Amino acid sequence: MKKIILTLVLGVTLAYANINVDTTYSTLGAIVKKIGAEHVNVTVLGSSKYDPHFIVPKPSLLAKLRRADLLIINGGGLELGWLPPLLRGAHNRNIQNGAKGFLDISHSIAMINVPASVSRAFGDVHAQGNPHYITDPHQVPIIAEVIYKKLKLLDSANATSYEKNYQVFMQEWKNYLTEFDAKMQECKTKKVVQYHLLFNYFLNRYSIKSYGNIEPLPGVSPSSKHTIELIRMMQKKDIKVILQDVYHEKKSASFIADKTGARVATVPHDVGSVKGSDTLKSFYNTIAKQICH
Amino acid sequence: MKKIIPLSMLCALSLMADATLDTIQKELETQKQKTATLESQMQALSRANTNQSASFSQNAYLPDIAFILDMSAVARDVNNTAYSNYAIPGFIAPGDAELIFNPNRGFNLNYAELALHSSVDPYFDAFLVLHLQSNVFEIEEAYVITTSLPMGLRVKAGKFRSDFGRLNKKHHHSWHFDSQALIHEALFGPDALKDPGVQLQWVAPTDTYLMLGAEAMQGTNEASFGASESNNLYTGYLKSSIDIGESISLLGGMSIIHGENFENNTLNPTDLYGIDFTFRDQLGAYSSLLWQNEFIQREKSLGIRVDKQAGFYSELIYTYNNNYATGLRYDAITQNDTDLSAYSGVDTDNLDRFTAMLEYKPFEMSRLRLSYTYDRSKIISGERKNINDVMLSLNISAGAHSAHDF
Repeated sequence: MKKIILTLVLGVTLAYANINVDTTYSTLGAIVKKIGAEHVNVTVLGSSKYDPHFIVPKPSLLAKLRRADLLIINGGGLELGWLPPLLRGAHNRNIQNGAKGFLDISHSIAMINVPASVSRAFGDVHAQGNPHYITDPHQVPIIAEVIYKKLKLLDSANATSYEKNYQVFMQEWKNYLTEFDAKMQECKTKKVVQYHLLFNYFLNRYSIKSYGNIEPLPGVSPSSKHTIELIRMMQKKDIKVILQDVYHEKKSASFIADKTGARVATVPHDVGSVKGSDTLKSFYNTIAKQICH
Repeated sequence: MKKIIPLSMLCALSLMADATLDTIQKELETQKQKTATLESQMQALSRANTNQSASFSQNAYLPDIAFILDMSAVARDVNNTAYSNYAIPGFIAPGDAELIFNPNRGFNLNYAELALHSSVDPYFDAFLVLHLQSNVFEIEEAYVITTSLPMGLRVKAGKFRSDFGRLNKKHHHSWHFDSQALIHEALFGPDALKDPGVQLQWVAPTDTYLMLGAEAMQGTNEASFGASESNNLYTGYLKSSIDIGESISLLGGMSIIHGENFENNTLNPTDLYGIDFTFRDQLGAYSSLLWQNEFIQREKSLGIRVDKQAGFYSELIYTYNNNYATGLRYDAITQNDTDLSAYSGVDTDNLDRFTAMLEYKPFEMSRLRLSYTYDRSKIISGERKNINDVMLSLNISAGAHSAHDF
């Protein structure tokens, strides 16, 4: 009798026990929601309003990590400056690096801009390559697949549900990309400069050429010398678009825009970082709109 | 005539079909050749990708290594000899002060620090911090933490800085000011409260962050304890934090320490009580306002009497962007019930200190800091002397990236 009750109780709790998934950034969180749907509770640790390299390690994040069953990180060194002490302080063995509930998405991505040599004399360069792959919509199916496989592994009871969601999402995204790519054809001739190397994956995908950055080196604030050089170069090459993110200072970009007649495009780097980019599709649509149209 | 046209069309079609077939066959041949070339190229590549490393190389297992340098240029209206013998009445007797940071007018190389971190195995992470000064080699910290205990538990063992209060755990280079908070200096000295020992911490599985911790340590700290015949120092603390909206975080803590001193050749209890409170408002991606406070009281029994002493610091730091920050700190001793007869005729009331600083970080790994201190907490050469101190310090941390503090 006791066994029956125990089994019943266990069965009931299992049936209702969602798995807690923490993601370091919002786009990863949005993809988890697509695959996990009602079986997962998603917590995004880093706000998309801030610089992903410098998320404030608030103690409240420790409480969120403490109860996570799965931690999904962007990887490529993007969380290096804020996540490791939180992970140590959360005392959760299930999500430690190497545990079953830890997933580094960058391990499944073909990283670009991998530096031949690494030194901080070149600024904040990531040895593993450019970590901002999330801006390319063609990475989404790759990310969705690894997330789907991980969810299936951790929560086999709901495997069929994950599989269904995954198939539906993949089809939906395939259709979306066909349409998206067709629209992007007209942008191939665009020439841009960026603040930081945030959009290289997107730009590479659609053969849009980026000619330089407002910051002289990754993580180094703009200098007047570098800004003047950039203005001259933009005038010579007739570059009319400046890609600005939401978290860097905006004075440099508007100064450069004044001198060159270029347009400052505020481009989201993660789901929700600008108004009207709260869903996966609206996020990529906003990137496209800001850069091309 | 009518028949001729379809016939010739048919001929033409079949000819065309023949031609198409030929092209396809040729195309097939070329593709086959291409595939063969690609296959051989792939094989060559995979051969090139085979393990070429030295048979016994272990470079991939090197720990994360960082080295930290701290130096300063100081102007002070007290000469070095007099300054090195300063006293803080009731806490530090003349000549007892240990001057680690910025002792001299002119140039100081305060320290070089070597910090190493590595996973040991699936169960332990290890940390080692070596503190180097001109004639000093010190193991600042050397400990392991567990990574696989269940139920939100973690054990730390080795020599480590106690997690008592807010500031004690932090290393000099992550402080907001170059000098140690006055009450910490008075109660623990510049070495802070660190000892060989074990620590157990538990994080509650709640929505709100709640952490309980306890430590057993050797108790070698001379300033408050120092009876180290056997381990006799015990700490306990509770920390919690809540967020208000997305940008504001509050962090609070309560701590106690029970230890023993060996004053007057007897074992006597020393008890400390601490509360701390931090407010942080993230104003923008790189801009924030931080208000950090800590109050500590000590009850030190000397066998013949019990001394009650207390003090606090309060600091306000405004970070403008990733390059500039500025801050103010006020330090004070608020209670000093002890034998002050050694200072008869000297004003020992209202011991306090003001510090202001301006910080410039060219990059996140380097920091220049200009600070001014008006110090009213010290007795110099038997007299109460208010000290003016202007300092420019440079701190760099190279190598492995240490994560940012809250």
